[in-house]
Amino acid sequence: MERRRKGEGNVRVVDVETGEEVPISHKVPIGPNHPILKEPLRIKLAVRGEEVVDCKVEMGYCHRGIEKIMEGMPWQKAAFLAERVCGICSHAHNMCFVGGVERVAEGEPAPRGLFLRVLVQELDRIQSHLIANAAYFYSIEHETMFVWNMNTRERVLDCIEEITGNRILTGWNVVGGVRVDVTEEQLERVLETLEEVREDVKTYRRIAQTDPLIKLRSRGVGVITREHVRRYRVVGPQARASGVPESDMRLQEPVYPELGFKPVSRRRGDNLARILLRYDECLQSIDLIERIVDELPEGEHRRELEIRGGHVDNRVEAPRGELVYDMEISPGGVVRRVTIRTPSVPNIRVLEAIAPGCPSIADAVATYASLDPCVACNERFVVVDERRGKVLYEGRAREVIRACSRTT
Amino acid sequence: MRSLLERLKGFVRSRSIHVTVVNTGGCNGCDIEILACYTYRYDLEQYGIYYHNNPRKSDVLIVTGPVTYQWREKLKRLYRKVPEPKAVVAVGACACSGGIFNQNGGRVCGPVREVIPVDAEVPGCPPRPEEIVSAIVEVVPRLFRSWESRRGEADGAEA
Repeated sequence: MERRRKGEGNVRVVDVETGEEVPISHKVPIGPNHPILKEPLRIKLAVRGEEVVDCKVEMGYCHRGIEKIMEGMPWQKAAFLAERVCGICSHAHNMCFVGGVERVAEGEPAPRGLFLRVLVQELDRIQSHLIANAAYFYSIEHETMFVWNMNTRERVLDCIEEITGNRILTGWNVVGGVRVDVTEEQLERVLETLEEVREDVKTYRRIAQTDPLIKLRSRGVGVITREHVRRYRVVGPQARASGVPESDMRLQEPVYPELGFKPVSRRRGDNLARILLRYDECLQSIDLIERIVDELPEGEHRRELEIRGGHVDNRVEAPRGELVYDMEISPGGVVRRVTIRTPSVPNIRVLEAIAPGCPSIADAVATYASLDPCVACNERFVVVDERRGKVLYEGRAREVIRACSRTT
Repeated sequence: MRSLLERLKGFVRSRSIHVTVVNTGGCNGCDIEILACYTYRYDLEQYGIYYHNNPRKSDVLIVTGPVTYQWREKLKRLYRKVPEPKAVVAVGACACSGGIFNQNGGRVCGPVREVIPVDAEVPGCPPRPEEIVSAIVEVVPRLFRSWESRRGEADGAEA
């Protein structure tokens, strides 16, 4: 049954089929600080008893004005800022920004650099998926799986540290390649660690598939249909769990076709399918990394490129889905304007459609966690009038940039 | 001179600490490093520190990220909700100084210490879990152990 909201401020829920107002008993605000939320966000639920009738997501607590700070910065500084849009998928942001600058530059980046970049990107994807699944298991109070997932993630972070020198914000990509080269011994150690990670991930996938308690909480809850995918533009593992494998942007990226990459997908689209799909992708990433190490081209890891400047639109498959950097670069590599579209915006918005089917409030919260939300990613599209505390613009990036330039 | 009861209270308080983590607009990097403190490798819970996230029942507020304008009043309100004795630990370069966002064009209102009183600061972008654990383990019990005597001084000064 489809329902829609009517009116601006008050929560009034009207049934589309019958036209009658649905009675609600309580409004439950969750956030901005809540045990389940890693980041500030407010979810407003309208409930009747335990049943969730309506849901509204309120964002804007993390707005820092990154796009505005980036204007007028040389790429050497802006790459670090791009990384700090989001701490979990930081490498994807860095890679997307640097890749965009390379597309308006003379000459080709070093092939070895591109392969190494993809290698770290896949390691980043594994750790991001593991933390997403850990957050989901924490939200359904399965703390054993939470701690196991986090422990395995530590091993993946060791691999990232082995290659790049830092655990989270690596600063690894530069225009023309990567910052430092790797040695054979480093790659061997990474592969050894990943062998253990593979066994762990297989165990977790088996447990998630067979455990009756996880199945009770996850099977059939928060189903994203293909219609939802189309309407809300859901991207990433969330869309692939609903049977849309072609949403994977890795099919259009430079290195992946050489590795024989094929996206995985599942059909059910519920919480359990999303969790299992992330484990599938972890295993797929480990396979990809092994192939990268086999086919790693010899030669330099970095080339000097001359940046012509121009308008560029670069897309990368971040761990959460399609990430877009729409940039204007001036000759020499100074950023004139940048618009970032992160995958978490549609992925969180779809909660407004799927939460009203949840049997209880706890399931709505678990559904939110299963969408792998990343609030720090989102919050650039909001302009807030600080005197009145009102949101002026939300959503359209270009309008917001214009409004920001007016206010500051 | 502290009485036995005061010393006992201080000892008990310093051995059982509940923690609330607040992200006031950071990039998440510090949050997941704090989360990593709960894995077996670092294991914050062996020191009696429990990740709670309910401000009304916690002793320590860990703040990450620069304070955005939307958070300024809410953070003050959150700080008032934490019962005495309380301590605030600012984790990360953003929480200590505003970091990379505290420059021309950034919509943040500066470091955490300009909004609420801060007891310890852990610099780094993001700091490693070892550093976060050592900061909490070093500073926080010391604050709670001496709180009974400090409370007496503060009351005396007011009178």
